[in-house]
Amino acid sequence: MTAIPQGTGRLRQPFLAADGRWISAGLALAFVVVLGLPLLVAVLWSLVDPRVGWFAPDVVPSSLALDHWRTALGNRTIVRALGLSVLIGAAVTVLTAVLALPTAYALAKLPFRMKRAVELFVLAPLIVPGIIVAVGIGAMFFRLDLVYTIPGVILVQTVGTLPFMIRILAATIEAIPNDLIAAARTLGAGPLAIARYILIPLAWPGFIAGGLLTFVASFEEFEKTFIIGSPFVQTLPVILWTYLGGAGIIFPNAAVVTFILLTPMLIVFFLAGRVLRDDVLASGMGKL
Amino acid sequence: MTGRRAAVAILILPAGGYLALFFGLPLLLAFLGGFGLFTRGADTGFTLEHYRTLFGTRAYRDGLWFSTYLAIVPTLVSLALSLPLAVALAQTHPGQRLFNMLYKVPLVVPGIVAAFIVMTMFDRGGLAARVLAPVGIDLPKLVRDQWAIGVIIATAWKAVPFMTLIIGGSLGAINRDILSAARTLGAGPLATFWRIQVPLALPGITAAFLLTFIGGMGAYAVPNLLGPVYPLPLSVHMYVNAFERNNWGLVSAMGTVLSLISIAVLLAYYRATRGMRTAYGGEAR
Repeated sequence: MTAIPQGTGRLRQPFLAADGRWISAGLALAFVVVLGLPLLVAVLWSLVDPRVGWFAPDVVPSSLALDHWRTALGNRTIVRALGLSVLIGAAVTVLTAVLALPTAYALAKLPFRMKRAVELFVLAPLIVPGIIVAVGIGAMFFRLDLVYTIPGVILVQTVGTLPFMIRILAATIEAIPNDLIAAARTLGAGPLAIARYILIPLAWPGFIAGGLLTFVASFEEFEKTFIIGSPFVQTLPVILWTYLGGAGIIFPNAAVVTFILLTPMLIVFFLAGRVLRDDVLASGMGKL
Repeated sequence: MTGRRAAVAILILPAGGYLALFFGLPLLLAFLGGFGLFTRGADTGFTLEHYRTLFGTRAYRDGLWFSTYLAIVPTLVSLALSLPLAVALAQTHPGQRLFNMLYKVPLVVPGIVAAFIVMTMFDRGGLAARVLAPVGIDLPKLVRDQWAIGVIIATAWKAVPFMTLIIGGSLGAINRDILSAARTLGAGPLATFWRIQVPLALPGITAAFLLTFIGGMGAYAVPNLLGPVYPLPLSVHMYVNAFERNNWGLVSAMGTVLSLISIAVLLAYYRATRGMRTAYGGEAR
């Protein structure tokens, strides 16, 4: 990325300065309606009293209770799904990071022919709709007996997370000064020592950013997991699917699972807000 | 020099080999399977039968159109919302840091949760209907409706932050001197927006468009939960034919057609951005 020299001082943008408050007011209103209200409704659904219910024309339920939460947290299937989601997310994150590091280094620091082709190939999973990848791998995993297994789900999710990780790590490694690596090599460090003492410590922010993104992507992944794993590998999104798409839609149960699924995501998200700069996020997703 | 080449090969092998094995190979098998080669179950030899079925069956033809519809319409809606949002977020305003964080929340909300939210709000008997009924407004059917309004709402809800993030990055990279120059030369805010900011942010805008388009075309869960009973998008037909009818040849043909549409859009993207690179001088990403 070429750095464009920025003008000094804060210049006024197309709006007048006085418009700032109007922008805030508009944004606040939009966020309340589009984000706050739906989440509040979901919270209410999770608190509906099963003895009373929540029927039209009531805009708010007439009575609230924790029954659905108690049932869900005592439900072995849901608790196991939460554990499984965390386990798969962690495994996918580690596998993705290990696979991505060497390639990211080669793309960031070494000149070679066909570099553009390798870059494009590594990004290709973003271009092909996930359902095609999942069904294609499904056909292959049938032969390998990996379908309906946890390793199968980890392998298929990693296809989707590798491109982001490679991009983010390559961008971070690119910023490490070449002199540092050259100096280490002159002083007798082999490739492993360079990775251990220079690359990994200095690319740490990239690992954190990429790792958080990967974990989130794995935790919320539905389609590939559903196609390869369901009905034997039940992660939280798969459970939520059965509540919404199955025989009857059970709103209160779905609402409880929604928050069991969302809470870790939101925690990771607000933690990530501190370490994850927008340009890192955008470099992972945006440029092709 | 051969040492350097071997080193590069060894470094690329883990991720490259992984993707070749678990991404390239399945796609290749799917491509061949569409022509009846190496199909799971029945190996028929080369045949165009699967494509004949795909284009000759009304439900699948309509499904192909519907998949394209679900790719284009939500993407256009999201783009129309993301552009002003990205510009507004870039202005200095009170609470800017908070808003800059809040708008990204849907990025970590799973698509199924978005579908659930749309159900609670817009399904018959949902909150919107309950609030509007006393006022005498009767909402049309918005979930499982013919025009897939529910799918569009859920998809846009997830896609707007994603597009805003990418477009915001592009807008932020524009040299502010250019904007002030435009203002000094007498361009109003709207003229600056349309004639300076949008053209210079086009690489980001097109990238966001492309990725959202592809996501919409392959979407399975959201159209399945919120979409109409007929037509079904090709993604749903793929799943049904693969896992319920064991008809992998047809599935492969469908996957190939969807991939070809994605690749066509990607090529259009590269053409468009190459044009920009020459038109606006600076290196487009």
